[in-house]
Amino acid sequence: MQRRRGAVTALAVVTALAVVGCGRDSAGGGGETARPVDQGTAKGEITVWAMGTEGEKLSVLARDFEAANPEAKVTVTAIPWDAARDKIATAIAGRQTPDVSLIGTTNMAEFARSGALDPTPSVIDGGQFFSGAAQTTVVNGTSYGVPWYVETRLLYYRTDLAQRAGAAPPTNWSELTAFATAMKEKSGAKWGLNLQAGGKGTWQTFMPFAWQAGASITDEGGTKFTLDSPEMVKALEYYKTFFAGQLSPDALLRPGELEQGFIDGSFGAFFSGPWHIGLIKEQGGAAMDGKWAVARMPRDKAGTSFVGGGDLAVFKDAKNRDAAWKFVQYLTRPEVQVKWYTEVGDLPSVKSAWQDPKLSADPLLKTFGEQLDEAKSPPAIATWEQVATVIDTEIEKVVKGVSSPADSAKAMQAQATSIGTGL
Amino acid sequence: MVAEAIPVRRRAVRRPMSLRTRRALAAWGFALPFLAVFAAFMAGPVVASLAMSFTDLRGTDLRNPLNVNLIGFDNYVRLFGDEVFRQALTNTAVFVLGSVPLTIVSALAVALALNRGITRLRTFFRVGYYLPVVTSIVAVAVVWRFLLQPDTGLLNSLLRTIGIAGPHWLDDPALAMLSIIVLTAWRGMGFMMVVFIAGLQAIPRDVYEAAEIDGAGRWARFRFVTLPMLRPTMLFAVVVTSIGQLQFIEEPFVMTRGGPLNSTLSVSMDVYAQFGFGNYGYASAMSYMLFVVIVALTVVWFRLLRSR
Repeated sequence: MQRRRGAVTALAVVTALAVVGCGRDSAGGGGETARPVDQGTAKGEITVWAMGTEGEKLSVLARDFEAANPEAKVTVTAIPWDAARDKIATAIAGRQTPDVSLIGTTNMAEFARSGALDPTPSVIDGGQFFSGAAQTTVVNGTSYGVPWYVETRLLYYRTDLAQRAGAAPPTNWSELTAFATAMKEKSGAKWGLNLQAGGKGTWQTFMPFAWQAGASITDEGGTKFTLDSPEMVKALEYYKTFFAGQLSPDALLRPGELEQGFIDGSFGAFFSGPWHIGLIKEQGGAAMDGKWAVARMPRDKAGTSFVGGGDLAVFKDAKNRDAAWKFVQYLTRPEVQVKWYTEVGDLPSVKSAWQDPKLSADPLLKTFGEQLDEAKSPPAIATWEQVATVIDTEIEKVVKGVSSPADSAKAMQAQATSIGTGL
Repeated sequence: MVAEAIPVRRRAVRRPMSLRTRRALAAWGFALPFLAVFAAFMAGPVVASLAMSFTDLRGTDLRNPLNVNLIGFDNYVRLFGDEVFRQALTNTAVFVLGSVPLTIVSALAVALALNRGITRLRTFFRVGYYLPVVTSIVAVAVVWRFLLQPDTGLLNSLLRTIGIAGPHWLDDPALAMLSIIVLTAWRGMGFMMVVFIAGLQAIPRDVYEAAEIDGAGRWARFRFVTLPMLRPTMLFAVVVTSIGQLQFIEEPFVMTRGGPLNSTLSVSMDVYAQFGFGNYGYASAMSYMLFVVIVALTVVWFRLLRSR
């Protein structure tokens, strides 16, 4: 099945490849100016693709929008996340895109670079979003969409175990080490702190430490990688201490193992995003009430976390471009963002939405909101997913002791440089 | 006169087609739906991906796929310097060297046992050995990961009762590959068992009887009757298993995701990853490299096992 999907993508991509081309002219992506969007209500059919829960529930907001814009009709197609990238890529190649799509933050650069996305017009106020989230839409200085919802990572910990161990939530690196050690030695937890030891997406757990140490993935202009900096080596060394000290398991966890271990007390703490609030409540039930809390990232030079989420973009091949941007603009209104939170639990990307009591009165969410002010995303480069795989592999080597932090930082830099930034 | 001439010409036109032409037309008619589907979904992509493998087509070229550079064999040359691809190639070789013999030998052993030795509960065993073939790989992976769990898994619990501390099966680079090989052989054995049973039943009984009269023992009968008579079946089994297992992707995909440390990363997984990264030209070159290996190995098997 996997092979067939590749073959079909291949077919779609080069159906037109009858005469093989004559060199690459400058593709889109960067340095573009956005056309304005007309005034008045939206008209006509707006086709939207969205993945996962967002795709299933978006029709709720679409009905509200249609009520305010009687001449518009929003058609939502739900597509699975697994197929999302291939499906959008195929649509771009065949110039059969929807008007709007939800796009994973790490795919934005590739699609924008292909010239498929419409630059964000001025009806959208880019300043209303958390800056880390807004950065995910900016490719080569031009914004190609809006952050729709966000997520960021915090420290989840068992308050009862921390009390037994006499440990307060950590505020800096040395306190985090002491915290994990106390959790392991004094609270009865088998593992003081779970950190991802390897495999896909390890960078999301690791990069906050690198950013906290002052490391960065690329230079300011996003043209050169800076993965072999002393700060990166320092972060790798720090990350490694948790595995060398047996504070974190170096084996990959089974799905569900972390949640179960946190509830039965074998994991004292872990870093994760807002979805774990629901998972812990659902699986732990009333017995877990009051036994856990979240805390902000520890500080080194900074207290940075990772920000991810989903972006909304309008395609250049959209049939109803102006109405599409109006729908996107509607989805980023603070009150609509709050309603979306109550419908599916997605955290608002618009800062002012967080003043609503539905979010600000909840102490768990309040911490997420605070952390979002100090959260970064990887640079919007077209090759990011490939570079991320390199980082994942090198972290795993450090964790398993196969490679030293300095060697791994050098290897990351060399491989990332050979992959390039896709410019 | 004119009125008479016309029927003559008509008769000539309506002369029935020859039987051969009609048969050929009917055959093409029946084949046409398949040929259309084949051209659109198989031949098309095959030709397109071959063309792609000589370009630097990337995800960022999607909207203007013609704006690519022809780079000749650059993608193929790059493969040799690609550390991850080389590791995937080595892993695939180790995997095939381990899993193909294991699948074939165990399938043949079970087929021999079920063909003659075991008479009671024969259907039960046949169904039992075939069941892994029709079980979803996802379900298989979940169960196997439970079995192989270091602390609480069944396998290590059993080892503990005889005083052996079981290893971390899926977290150790060498053992992870071993686990995947055993899993694949277990999954693939059932189908080959059916093939071998069919092959064994096609061997005429009188050949065995003649051998017995000549004083051939059990081993001699197996060595000099069963194995030679099974040669065509063996060729089929080995070729089909090799082709399938050179492209293995499902087992590591669901069990280890290619880890730990890329030790179970297969060529197909690497190809899939490269397509995912949007490196269409490079990924196509990888696919063709794998294709060449598959063809080469198949030729070798034919040379070795062809009936003489």
